[in-house]
Amino acid sequence: MLDTVISLLRSADVYAWEVSDVFTEAWEFYMIRHALDQNRVRHVEHLTAKVFRLSEDGETMGFASCEIPPTASREEAKVLIDSLSYRASLIKNKPYTLCKSKKADGGSHLPIDPEEISRMFLTTMRGIPETPGEDVNSYEIFVASKKRRFLNSEGVDVEEIYPDSMIEVVVNARAPGHEIELYRNFKSGTCDAESLRRDVLRAMQTGRDRLKTVDTPALGKADVIFSTVDACEIYSYFAARLDTAMIYRKMSTWELGKSVCPVFYGDAPSLSAVRELPNSSANRLYDAEGAPIRDLPLLENGIARNYHGSRMFSAYLGLEDSFIPSNYVVEGGIRGESELRQDPYLEVVEFSDFQVDVVTGDLFGEIRLAYWHDGEKTVAVSGGSVSGSMLDLAENMALSSETVQYNNWRIPSVTLLKGVTVTGIV
Amino acid sequence: MKAPFSVYLSGIRSGAEELVRLLRKKYEYVSVLATDSCGFAVRISQRARSVSSETMTTERGLVVRVCRDGQYSEVSINHFDASCPEHAAAEVEAEIEKQRALLSSLGVGAYHTPVLPDDPLTLFVEKDCEVLPEETDMKTLVESLTALSDRAMTLSSELLDCMVSAQSTHICKLFLTENRNLAQSYVYSEGTVIALASRDGRTQTGYEGLSGLGGSELLTGLGEKMEKSVSTALELLDAEHIEPGEYEIITSPEVSGVIAHEAFGHGVEMDMFVKNRAMGKDYIGKRVGSDLVTMHEGALCAEDVTSYAFDDEGTLAGDVIEIENGILKTGICDALSAMRLGVAPTGNGKRENFEHKVYTRMTNTIFDSGTDSLEDMIASIHHGYLLEGVESGMEDPKHWGIQCIIKLGREIVDGRLTGRVVAPIILTGYVPDLLGSISMRSPERKVFGTGGCGKGYKEWVKVSDGGPYLKTKARLG
Repeated sequence: MLDTVISLLRSADVYAWEVSDVFTEAWEFYMIRHALDQNRVRHVEHLTAKVFRLSEDGETMGFASCEIPPTASREEAKVLIDSLSYRASLIKNKPYTLCKSKKADGGSHLPIDPEEISRMFLTTMRGIPETPGEDVNSYEIFVASKKRRFLNSEGVDVEEIYPDSMIEVVVNARAPGHEIELYRNFKSGTCDAESLRRDVLRAMQTGRDRLKTVDTPALGKADVIFSTVDACEIYSYFAARLDTAMIYRKMSTWELGKSVCPVFYGDAPSLSAVRELPNSSANRLYDAEGAPIRDLPLLENGIARNYHGSRMFSAYLGLEDSFIPSNYVVEGGIRGESELRQDPYLEVVEFSDFQVDVVTGDLFGEIRLAYWHDGEKTVAVSGGSVSGSMLDLAENMALSSETVQYNNWRIPSVTLLKGVTVTGIV
Repeated sequence: MKAPFSVYLSGIRSGAEELVRLLRKKYEYVSVLATDSCGFAVRISQRARSVSSETMTTERGLVVRVCRDGQYSEVSINHFDASCPEHAAAEVEAEIEKQRALLSSLGVGAYHTPVLPDDPLTLFVEKDCEVLPEETDMKTLVESLTALSDRAMTLSSELLDCMVSAQSTHICKLFLTENRNLAQSYVYSEGTVIALASRDGRTQTGYEGLSGLGGSELLTGLGEKMEKSVSTALELLDAEHIEPGEYEIITSPEVSGVIAHEAFGHGVEMDMFVKNRAMGKDYIGKRVGSDLVTMHEGALCAEDVTSYAFDDEGTLAGDVIEIENGILKTGICDALSAMRLGVAPTGNGKRENFEHKVYTRMTNTIFDSGTDSLEDMIASIHHGYLLEGVESGMEDPKHWGIQCIIKLGREIVDGRLTGRVVAPIILTGYVPDLLGSISMRSPERKVFGTGGCGKGYKEWVKVSDGGPYLKTKARLG
């Protein structure tokens, strides 16, 4: 089908085109406790074509895209592409050029065996030590080998194969008359048995603590420590505000060479895009538009150094070698975790759903489990919420010198925000 | 006109029927769900415009489900050659047996489940629609959305942009077993207007949407949404922070809807009962809300984005009363979970698309309305807030916690709106307390279907929810 589509695109009335062809071979296992709920296989191909039309005066350019089913006949594919060409002619954007052919450094096609990766996941999960007080309620294993080829009318023709795994785990902890559950979702390239085991056991520990919580006190403003994957949301705010789409659309006013905050009283963050992180599910040579991915500093000590993003908005900002990052690293701060844990603070380790709105900067999350350290003792608490705005909180943030990796993010293991609003129960 | 059933699915029908027959020789139960859903998505803003043929629910593919020895397995493919079903049958069997061999080698046993019933049924449904997505005049649509965005920008110099989107999807599904032959075709459409306003480096958004069962004729209603979206964005620039605490509140129909969805939508998805992951299991027949709480769930409850004739397991659509006068009556259930629990399925077995597993999922989740006027509700409040607009929600079926991010609150003091606006608001609480405090409800009821719903953080499906204005108490932060 790919050859047919390319031949149709080459003869179509279009200014430019892109094609992405992704083959997925996936194995999935759904478990209730350790019994099989269902096993599944996916063998699919998704071929997406995007065509560009330039207006007669060259002042505007439009694009339209669609998926062409692998079962489509040549005639069906031609109808779809002709329709795309017409639809693209209706859209009026500022013209830009597509990615040019440029080879990424390094990279190799390692064989990926979904069966072997599945075996590791199943073996690891079945080996998790359980007690009458803590056990695995259920889990879902997703293992995929993906082969992606991307071509465009500028001569880009790249292909890569990569693994993409995820496991969703629900654990229970119980005391007489009381049972709680914790949900975890781990993404990775392949199965990292040691990390998975550690993280599931840590979830069980969290569950044990949650059984003993009291209501969160109404603290008003408090220092809040983020020491879980939720902290990635805070750093996603910085990454998103350096996205060329946000800059071009004036949703972010951050300028290169200038501090992203009027003043940093705490640790000014340094953020980079990196091409590879160990076993990240996002390790790629090329982005979705065929641009080579490379290591690139985005933020250095709070100063915006580089924007990143899709071809369209990057081109509008005059950036010729930008790309869509897939992995990020945030450098650690000066002080260690223990130094950041000295004054009274609330450490939230379990939210219902922690979010940072990248447009408004607002952050919020309901507390399912936190530890309130009042300077003398530590109490496990639950209920209430945290809220605030990164526009106000960024200037006093503190980052631990130790770092930790969550799939495609490496970030400080502890992030401290001062003056967060904590709505308690009592 | 009727939305015509897919030519592609009609073409592969006999091949798919043969695939069922071939696999039935090896397996005790076989079903095939074949899908062919097309559509469009147009997005217009001042700075970027696009048109795509993909929406959240466009797809073409086929999923085969089989059962042997109490173990259910599925294979999803999108290269089915109807002229050679033998090839697909061999592929399905080979893949499943490879997985079974791995499971056997590890000593993994099945959660033994009886064979699904397969009572004979034939159904062919084509629902009404004025303009199909494939026949929509795209030139006129793009021009009208562009004009709408342009018009919004004339309303205030503080507007950064106005993003307008319109989507329409023509769903076609074919479900086959040895004894069932079901086909359906329907169209749903949705549109949104998002206004962005900025002042002194702070940006706020206003959001308005519409949705319904029908074609792109519904999208003409977007014009009415624009001004409200713009005024909300501008109002939010002046919004203050709320003093955290427990307040009397009035929820707008949109906020009522998200509470319905999060509180006792997810809480009674009965696949969670199988895993002992929902407290609702132990509360059937017990009080979970005030007498004023009656809640419906089902594809037949409303005509919106998920009002199908049968679900993805071939169970006919239903209308379930989950809560009646405050008493939890029942949950909703997919077919496999129903077999495991010994209850009847309710027509709530849904897949994200043919590549995904079936879970128990919501369709239309709606509070019943009452007789109290909004004016009387406001007049009854000493100090509280009228809550409008929804950013997101999150459930906790095991512990009945709820979190809703609300766009804004309008302050009410001594029975009157003061004009003061607070934002954003995080509403949290214990579901029975929240529903138990409902003391008034308005006659009007609205349904909203522009959003999606995940299970955990994946498996995104279309849902709608809604209700009337409700007066209750909640903790706001």
